[in-house]
Amino acid sequence: MQPILNSLDVVLQDGFMYSILAMGYYISYSILDFPDLTVEGTVLSGGVVFGLLVKAGVNPYIAVLAAFAAGFLFGGVTGILNVKLKIRPLLCGILVSTALISVNLVCTIVGNGGDFKGDGLSTIDLGRSVPTLTRIFPASELPSDFYGFNMKKLAVFFAMALIFKIITDVFLKTKCGLLLRAAGDNPNYVTMLAKNQGTSKILGLAIGNAYAAVSGALIVQSRGNVNQGIGIGMVVIGLASLIIGLSVFGKVKFMKPTTMVIGGSIIYQASLGIAALLGVPTVYNKIIMAALFTAALIVSGKLKKKRGVERD
Amino acid sequence: MIDFENVYKSFRGSVDETKLFEDFSFHVETGSFVSIIGSNGSGKTTLLNLVCGSVMPDSGKILFDGKDYTAVPEYKRSKTIGRVHQDPKNGTCPELTIVENMALADNKGKRYGFTPAVNKKRIDYYKHLVSECGMGLENRMNVKVGSLSGGQRQALALVIANMTDNKLLVLDEHTAALDPKTSENIMAFTDRIVKGKGITTLMVTHNLRYALEYGDRIVMMHEGKIVLDKAGEEKKALEIDDVLGLFNSISIECGN
Ligand SMILES: Nc1ncnc2c1ncn2[C@@H]1O[C@H](COP(=O)(O)OP(=O)(O)OP(=O)(O)O)[C@@H](O)[C@H]1O
Ligand SMILES: [Mg+2]
Repeated sequence: MQPILNSLDVVLQDGFMYSILAMGYYISYSILDFPDLTVEGTVLSGGVVFGLLVKAGVNPYIAVLAAFAAGFLFGGVTGILNVKLKIRPLLCGILVSTALISVNLVCTIVGNGGDFKGDGLSTIDLGRSVPTLTRIFPASELPSDFYGFNMKKLAVFFAMALIFKIITDVFLKTKCGLLLRAAGDNPNYVTMLAKNQGTSKILGLAIGNAYAAVSGALIVQSRGNVNQGIGIGMVVIGLASLIIGLSVFGKVKFMKPTTMVIGGSIIYQASLGIAALLGVPTVYNKIIMAALFTAALIVSGKLKKKRGVERD
Repeated sequence: MIDFENVYKSFRGSVDETKLFEDFSFHVETGSFVSIIGSNGSGKTTLLNLVCGSVMPDSGKILFDGKDYTAVPEYKRSKTIGRVHQDPKNGTCPELTIVENMALADNKGKRYGFTPAVNKKRIDYYKHLVSECGMGLENRMNVKVGSLSGGQRQALALVIANMTDNKLLVLDEHTAALDPKTSENIMAFTDRIVKGKGITTLMVTHNLRYALEYGDRIVMMHEGKIVLDKAGEEKKALEIDDVLGLFNSISIECGN
């Protein structure tokens, strides 16, 4: 029983952690129809910003906001490449995430006291004394083992997912948010409203990557360290969670898409957790991830056909 | 209101180049209601695109109230232009509800900030607006626009294009997707709007009767040129047969 509870604990933590990335994809992919590969870089950027700031003694909640800002900025660059320079969506993401490999590395090294030539430590370790999200009030008051559940982590990650869900729901009902939905739906309509549809697109990509960076910050919080491999596989995790969520819960009335996305993220992590419980070695994780993603795409394709939607 | 001065516009295809407008000049008086007719491919939609800035001329100038707007992007010109496109899909957002579409349009010209998009107090007003086109849309305010028929969407697009005060109304075959009776209703509705607001209007139509019955000026286009342009009394004196005769003779001359 205990291993199951332990792995349920991890599934929930990771599910909430990655759901923010997936909500970002809800904005960039579902709403704007933009397959954004930038997250592969911005997740790590968020992690680096968070790691460096927390290690320097900055309040970790403020460090999360700083990660958000970094992701917002880099996502904006992707948007500008696409809108102003008319570069294709996939290429924009590849360009920015490639550049971010250097940016993230140099920032880590310099933040660690190294030089701009690249000599220095490329990892950040949040040792036992660094005040992270779980080590300060209010999470610090919770038990770290409650029937196998780490309540400190679980509460922090759940609260973060909930906050971002609420912010997203409220934002999409504002004028700015509705204009963003219009920009994804019919860019021409935005033009007729005397607004630059390019600006809405840039904003959407900035938000999508800001969310990705927050997920990155939580990944670092969860692992207790930064390494340069953190961004790998994030596109698949984000998109698969999104698509699983929307196709599994798509028919449930009055369920907000953001709630579906959180559900999808948990289902996705649960599948990985079950595979691990069944004894599949973690080296096969990426194959399982790709297979799950394929399954989700097939299911969502079938559902769309049933509903008679032409767009994919 | 609108002036085209020596406008050139050609489209480059993969193999050939279509020279559509060559040294094209055109003037529209403030407050006039111009009906534009002409065969398929004669350049009517492109003319409207040039007016709105969706297409930029190769050379020449486009002026609004004497000011040079040639380089002003489409979204900035839209501030004072209401437009209904030839394609019903173009004028609304399919994934948003009627209310959401109208709430967005209601805010045109203002800031799209972080205040709630839909003001519940305005919904009755929106219902009143759509009820005027007589399609029962007022009972379907919360359905996604994508589930409406093409004609219903086009009628909604017309209402939306007139929600804020514009200086110019641009209509591209806005009744073409409608059944005969609805088409009549929408045309009469259009006329009420135009007369009520006294707004300068450019209306493209393939319906010669509408072109003669409505508006105070008629323009016929052919291969990027204006081949007939009558206003006022001269226009009133025109009969369908006159226009149809000219239409046919041009087509025969060109061998189609
Ligand atoms: N974006 C474009 N690229 C290439 N050619 C174009 C483009 N837009 C218009 N044309 C060409 O310009 C000509 C005029 O087209 P336009 O759409 O203005 O015709 P129209 O008078 O509106 O016709 P219809 O009555 O069929 O709507 C056509 O030969 C068309 O092929
Ligand atoms: Mg046309």
